[in-house]
Amino acid sequence: MITLSQRREVGEFRKRYRWMALFVVLVFGGLVIRVAQVQLFQRDRWSGIAQQNITKTLELPATRGMIRDVADRVVASNRPSYDVYATPRLLQPGDLERIASLMGLSEEEAASLNARIEELPPSRRSHQIELYQDIDRDQLAALETHLAELPALDIITVPLRDYPYATLGAHLIGYLNEVNASDMERAADPKDYRPGDRIGRNGLEKRYESLLRGSRGFRREVVDARGRALPGARPDSLEVEMLRKPVPGHDIQLTLDMRLMEAFDRAYRPYPSGAAVVVDIHTGAVRALYSKPVYDPNEMSSGLSTRRYAELTGDPFRPLIDKTIYETYFPGSTFKVITALAALEDHVVDPMQRVECTGFIKIGRQKFRCNKRHEWVDLYDSVVQSCNVYFWELADDVGIERINRFARAFGFAERTGIGVNSEAKGFLATREWYAEHYGAFRIGYTLNTAIGQGNTRVTVLQLAMAYAAIANGGTLHVPQVVQNVRAPDGSLSDTFQPRIKQNVGVAPEHLDLIRRALIDVVQEEGGTAYKARNREGVRVAGKTGTAQVVSRKGRSEESASAWYLDRSHGWFAGFAPADDPQVAFAVLVEHGGSGGLSAAPIATSVMQQYFTEPEEAE
Amino acid sequence: MAIGRTIRDDFDWPLFIAVSTIALFGVLNLYSATDAGTTSDAYIQQLYWLVLGFGVAGITAAIDYRHFERYGWLIYGACVSSLILVFVLGRSVRGSTRWIALGGFSLQPSELMKIGLIIALAKYLHHDTKTGGRTLADLIIPGLILALPMVLVLIQPDLGTAMILAFIFASIMMLTQLKARSLVTLLTTFVLAAPVTWFYLLKDYQKERITAFWGRLGGTQTDLLDSGWHTHQSLVAIGSGGLTGKGFTQGTQTRFRFLPDQHTDFPFPVWAEEHGFIGAFLLISLYLFLVLWSLRVASQAKDRFGAVVAVGVGAMIFWQTVVNLGMVSGLLPVVGMTLPLFSYGGSSLLSTMLGVGLLMNVSMRRFSH
Repeated sequence: MITLSQRREVGEFRKRYRWMALFVVLVFGGLVIRVAQVQLFQRDRWSGIAQQNITKTLELPATRGMIRDVADRVVASNRPSYDVYATPRLLQPGDLERIASLMGLSEEEAASLNARIEELPPSRRSHQIELYQDIDRDQLAALETHLAELPALDIITVPLRDYPYATLGAHLIGYLNEVNASDMERAADPKDYRPGDRIGRNGLEKRYESLLRGSRGFRREVVDARGRALPGARPDSLEVEMLRKPVPGHDIQLTLDMRLMEAFDRAYRPYPSGAAVVVDIHTGAVRALYSKPVYDPNEMSSGLSTRRYAELTGDPFRPLIDKTIYETYFPGSTFKVITALAALEDHVVDPMQRVECTGFIKIGRQKFRCNKRHEWVDLYDSVVQSCNVYFWELADDVGIERINRFARAFGFAERTGIGVNSEAKGFLATREWYAEHYGAFRIGYTLNTAIGQGNTRVTVLQLAMAYAAIANGGTLHVPQVVQNVRAPDGSLSDTFQPRIKQNVGVAPEHLDLIRRALIDVVQEEGGTAYKARNREGVRVAGKTGTAQVVSRKGRSEESASAWYLDRSHGWFAGFAPADDPQVAFAVLVEHGGSGGLSAAPIATSVMQQYFTEPEEAE
Repeated sequence: MAIGRTIRDDFDWPLFIAVSTIALFGVLNLYSATDAGTTSDAYIQQLYWLVLGFGVAGITAAIDYRHFERYGWLIYGACVSSLILVFVLGRSVRGSTRWIALGGFSLQPSELMKIGLIIALAKYLHHDTKTGGRTLADLIIPGLILALPMVLVLIQPDLGTAMILAFIFASIMMLTQLKARSLVTLLTTFVLAAPVTWFYLLKDYQKERITAFWGRLGGTQTDLLDSGWHTHQSLVAIGSGGLTGKGFTQGTQTRFRFLPDQHTDFPFPVWAEEHGFIGAFLLISLYLFLVLWSLRVASQAKDRFGAVVAVGVGAMIFWQTVVNLGMVSGLLPVVGMTLPLFSYGGSSLLSTMLGVGLLMNVSMRRFSH
């Protein structure tokens, strides 16, 4: 049936096949090039996405390092906080009543819970809201048992910093709160911090943040496209790290003795405010750094309301201020030892020479009063009985420059270098300073300086360090609060050796004379702290002081407690045990009046407890 | 013409082997795509369809294609009728009505329509007396042959299949010698028709896909929602396969269901992820061979009907492959389009196997007996 015409008909098409074939080859070639581009040249990029697709990264927070005291008592640790969240949209009728009864809420609390949920606008009802933070164990148990029946409810565990000693030592230990944008910028590796993370904001928590923090880890789960975890699935092509264990932070052991801190806290009960420091005279290790009153670190870490902040800043007893290192005071008579040592060392005075105290001296038309009529006293007596007249007579011979020089040698007017928080320098007024600020220099300024009034300002810590130098024979240490740092595996990663700041440059016999006088301040009848002595047990040595308070004009009329705030501060600085000194201390009772009656009893009783109570007394 | 030569001697082995290989790869791929056969026995079903498909192809090849020529209009009419039937009996899947239930399984008449169209156009051109210098007027009747089923498919709506019908038509008509002037006029018309199509004919979801596609090509597409997401995951699958692939049943994009419609429209990424560039190249080469082979069959055909049928079937396979691969590799917008012989689905496989049967038919009868 083949005809030639049929053949010719097909011939019309014949010219087209080549072009068609060329077109087909070109198009397929294009596809191959595209696939090669994606598979061969962009492989890494797509592989990365493929791996991200099937992995969900769960962050594993690092446990923050612990802080312990010298006897391994826990000062800062971590505990879980169980927070209750609810998705209001999922709440069934009756659920709120159920939650209230499971949690043991009072009627008022239950009502306020109901009100909170009802007040939510509809747009917010699908979002999880926080109902309660840090619920207690019983509430947790009750809720967890019925969690399956309450789909609206979630309990989320977050690590919480815990301070077992609460406010005790809070300034020094510090607190955490949430990181802000500038923290994250400052961090060495900004990825270390995520919004919501907590960062040491103050005290040791801030100072040792990098050690305490540790580094977070993660666990990756294989998930499908809907985000459902597929336990056990581990595709061969997955090349990413699936688990990185978090590295806990380092643990820090302090030189602080929390039992001593507690003893101070008890001893300060009668007084609303004050500060005390105890240091080891041989090492400069700080055993107590007590400041009263204190804010609550837990309150600080959750963020203060403006009102609460105003309350804290307006408090006349200044809870926000660390009175051991950031506040300065007139040293009062505790400073007399410096004047005495200056006179002795430069041979300005014959310690045996007596001076008659008639209860006052007159300089020009001004009358300077002593605290009583001491009759004839030598240097030793005048320290024991704290006779101002003797030191006034001495002052002119010693001169303000010499007093300041020795004060500097004992570490005053210079930061001690404790290295935590902000530290005040204190102040020593010079002749030039008086000339500049008071018009002309007058002899009265030297007189005031000699007995620790005038414009001399010291911190409690500086005073304790100076007395430690007296007690140890003339070595001024740098105070230290950290004894060692341990890696998470328990190995020591850093030990803090005693650091000597300087030698005070005073002959041993002069220091010895002063030490003997300081012993008799407490132990001898007629000594200003005689009443505060421990009748049995630990003998304490020290110098009392009473520092005048600059009158707070204007406040007097406002406040009923104004009379109290105008009272002098009581000081007692010294060392114990008297005959074999181990620690030096400085105790300040704000507005305590006479140091012999307020501060000295605190010091002697705390020292008594410190040296006699067995370690495991609690 | 050798003495004693029978049709059996002219069996087109290369065609058979290429088709079988692609189909078997498809079943293997389906096995992997459905969680290595653990959650679905789709690959078994596909094997049944394959057996059925080869049976249909065998029958189609056995009957001398001149019979198809004879009953061309009848076949075309039956296909068009079944398209109309869709609107009466059809069941709706994801907003479009494409299926009719036939006993235990469902059938997609628009798939069969491709074959119907090829046969109708072949018959028309077979009897056309012109041998060159065609004008637009000569395209009117073939155009109507295309228009009737195309409109019905568009109403479903099934843009992909309508497009393939148009492409098959265009490819077949390229065989004829259209005058240059007519060709220019035609192209101008298409350009002018584009805005009309965009504003009046396309559905919103179709427009969105095209917008997403252009956005991606221009680099302005930032979100990975909807169709952009599909293409993205498809590229992740293909790209992460690298040179050698992740291994059979080891594709993570596949196993963890990041690929959309992974056994119907997106089987190629599954394949490329698990077998890498080597596998992908092999598969594309097989398609290239198949299309070129159908052109060869066409060029050897003894009459116009055979030539047109071979080119039509080749065009059907070519365009579906190109559109599907272009879509999964991010070169073309996402339209529903199966990969011939490779995708899961009975109707698609049956229509392709019908085409393959026709191709074999023409190939075996290239010599006059």
